Amino acid sequence: MAHNGGRPTPGFWKETGQLVGAIGRAMSVTLRNLFRKPVTVRYPDVQRPYPDRFRGILALAYDKETGEEACIGCRLCEYICPPQVIKVEMLKAAKRNFAKTFTLELYACEFCELCVQVCPTDAIIMMKSFDLAASDRRDLLLDKDRLHALGLQFEPSWATGNRLRDMQAPPKPARAEARGDAKGEAKEPAE
Amino acid sequence: MPETQTKQVVEVGYGGNERLMMNMGPQHPSSHGVFRMILTLEGETVVGVDAVIGYLHRCHEKLGETLTYVQYPSIASKTDYVAAMTAELAYVAAVEKIGKIEVPRRAQYLRVVAAELQRIASHCLWLGTWCLDMGGALGGGATVFLYCIREREMVLDRFEELTGARLLYGFHQVGGTRYDMPPGWDKKVRETVDFIEARLGEYEAMLEDNTFFRVRTQGVGVISRELAEAVGVSGPLIRGSGVGYDVRRAEPYSSYGDFDFVVPVETAGDCYARYRVRMVEFRQSIRIVRQALDGLPEGPISSRPGVKSVGQVRVPKGEGYTRVEGARGEIGCYIVSDGGAKPYRLKWRGASFSNLAVLPHIVPGHKVADVVAIMGSVDPVFGEVDR
Amino acid sequence: MTLPPAAWHAIEAFVVLNALLVLVAYVTLLERKFAARMQSRIGPYYVGRPHGWLQPVADALKLMMKEDIVPTASDRWVYNLAPIVFLVPCLLIFATIPFAPQVGVADLNIGVLFFLAVSSLEIVGLFMGGWGSNNKYALLSAMRAVNQIISYDLPFIFAALVPVLLAGSMQMSSIVAAQQGLWFVAYPVVGQLAFLAFLVATLAAENRVPFDILEAESELVAGFRVEYSGMKFALIQLGEYAHMLGTSFLGALLFLGGWLGPGPAALGPVWFLAKTLLIFLVITWVRWSFVRIRVDQILAISWKLLLPATLALLLATGLVVALRGPGGA
Repeated sequence: MAHNGGRPTPGFWKETGQLVGAIGRAMSVTLRNLFRKPVTVRYPDVQRPYPDRFRGILALAYDKETGEEACIGCRLCEYICPPQVIKVEMLKAAKRNFAKTFTLELYACEFCELCVQVCPTDAIIMMKSFDLAASDRRDLLLDKDRLHALGLQFEPSWATGNRLRDMQAPPKPARAEARGDAKGEAKEPAE
Repeated sequence: MPETQTKQVVEVGYGGNERLMMNMGPQHPSSHGVFRMILTLEGETVVGVDAVIGYLHRCHEKLGETLTYVQYPSIASKTDYVAAMTAELAYVAAVEKIGKIEVPRRAQYLRVVAAELQRIASHCLWLGTWCLDMGGALGGGATVFLYCIREREMVLDRFEELTGARLLYGFHQVGGTRYDMPPGWDKKVRETVDFIEARLGEYEAMLEDNTFFRVRTQGVGVISRELAEAVGVSGPLIRGSGVGYDVRRAEPYSSYGDFDFVVPVETAGDCYARYRVRMVEFRQSIRIVRQALDGLPEGPISSRPGVKSVGQVRVPKGEGYTRVEGARGEIGCYIVSDGGAKPYRLKWRGASFSNLAVLPHIVPGHKVADVVAIMGSVDPVFGEVDR
Repeated sequence: MTLPPAAWHAIEAFVVLNALLVLVAYVTLLERKFAARMQSRIGPYYVGRPHGWLQPVADALKLMMKEDIVPTASDRWVYNLAPIVFLVPCLLIFATIPFAPQVGVADLNIGVLFFLAVSSLEIVGLFMGGWGSNNKYALLSAMRAVNQIISYDLPFIFAALVPVLLAGSMQMSSIVAAQQGLWFVAYPVVGQLAFLAFLVATLAAENRVPFDILEAESELVAGFRVEYSGMKFALIQLGEYAHMLGTSFLGALLFLGGWLGPGPAALGPVWFLAKTLLIFLVITWVRWSFVRIRVDQILAISWKLLLPATLALLLATGLVVALRGPGGA
């Protein structure tokens, strides 16, 4: 039928035999797949297990020991964000600084995890969920209260600023001890 | 914007040879992105093609001037968004070349594993969408498409465990990589790769000796060797036309010289030859992944400390151009630095941009149905074309 | 109750038509689930859990509520009439199919001829749709359609004539009766080849992959149907599936013995439906396994391969019948 691009053309019977064989092979592959288990995950009835490092919705966390807000308003996340979706105002206080306002425009966020990477106090973290669909874009303009609430609502991802930085260039032992990371704590749970 | 061909006055005669100007795209199920082809048809035969690009232009090269070396790698994945790892690699390799920054061996091997897994995933998508175009969204094409996507999802699951993201990773940083392997990952990658190798046999059974597939792809879209070399195509297109050029062999980067793999070359130059080249590349990528995982050295994953501030990476004045072998061809990144934290100028050499230039030479003379077969075998991604 | 025969026929036609429409709707669900399982996924699931039983109803409601967009530059009368002209022959073919001995709208003594002739009329509606839409894609598709369907109607007719020759009658119920001893598909060589040619010609005459170049979603984006939305689109879809089901019924009747099967005679229609669905599933299985081929290759297969083959087959069947002598079955 079409010219074969320089390849030898088989004779009529050989080509017919090839055609029948090809049809049989293709249809047997489809038949075999008919009896395999479907790979569909019936979201939202069934949730897929998310890996530990999943980059989901952003949230603000509280400090583990003191229970205070972890964010010190240093604005490093604001400067590094490529689409510039974070806006922070610092509030100076006696012992440490806080963030007066913290807005994050989730509808424009790229989920690149750079803000998490640079945060010195592990304040901004990502959750293991993306389930925040809204019908109004203004619902995705997250303010500080909303971000803290999200942090308590979903499960946080393994990746926090200090852990990411430690992974990229292992810290010197003195600094790690001073930070209080026990030797096994910084490691991820095995899969 | 080309103005010449679109303003012709078409004389409608009754001789049966009047020409019809038909627009294929930019919204079209088979244009692989936003791509407009103005086809001049005589009956069913295409006699002229006028390609219009630019619908996905997002000013990457200007963005590169406003974002620092720390911020841009996650954006770089959006040029070739189907094979994001290789695109990021081009950018950070260019920066490392200017600054003469060493990359630790472990990071190099991790980059190789990521790039080759990405090539497998990208070729899965290529095969699926090509068969979808040729076979119909309601037909055998969709079946092959869903099988390929099922396998691609497994690779994306591995990437999700590695970086947290499934399509646009931000895996590379200047000096190495941002993420290390989680525990148990290499075992999972080996299982994935074994599984995909077994399934490849199924795809070949469905397509390889299939007469329907052969008549659609053999003799269609022939790129002669001279044309390939003259236009400057790269990747599977040039390897399907008889030139054995692979950047991984020509200029080994990121310790590719340590691995043993075959660069497939076919001489026929038609769609079927390019299909064979990519199917062999599947298996060779699997081979490289296994070798890299076997020989993965211990050590740090970056020669620079973890990113703590936006202007952390500064390279001295200079310029650098690096090329990597992306899934579609040679991706190049040219950076001119003026000593600061941002490049002075960033230029992308998109593989698909040069590959598309071959279309006006090979499409005329074919039927309309062949146009989609050719587009699929050229496998453009418009993030690279329009940047 | 004695009704005039015309009223009796009208009632029968009404019942058959309604049953047919419901069957067509649920056959689309069957196809979607079958195709989904072949592609490692679940088909329709949520509407009418757990297996999408209400999906056809939902689709029908959706299509009825959709906006009916008519392009301003289209040829009004041709564009609006095309779905109807396409649908009517596709439904009319069911008039001659008997579902059990004595059950059917009209068991004409030229039943097969009527079926084949009327089913070819759909091409008029198809071309009207393509022309009236005033759209280059639709026009291209309509041209291809005329080419393809005309080319494949000939082998289709010749393949369908083989059982007619073997049975000696064009009346559908006598063809089934003639298969009491042996189904026609089981006749050595002649039967199987005829059935194979019938299946291939069916695939092509109904624009099923690998011969669906005229709808070619990936090039021509729905071909001649591209400008139709809402209820007109529903009519065209209905016509296509009804035609496919009709030729499956014909195939089951001509080759697979119709309502013959073990068990009481009342089970006849059940067997008939089962055989029809078997043919339908085979066609679906082929559809979801292959890529399509180009229109010139399709035409080459028809004129260079299928037509000579079916002509030769008809000749051979004629010889078989002549050698068998009069009165043989």
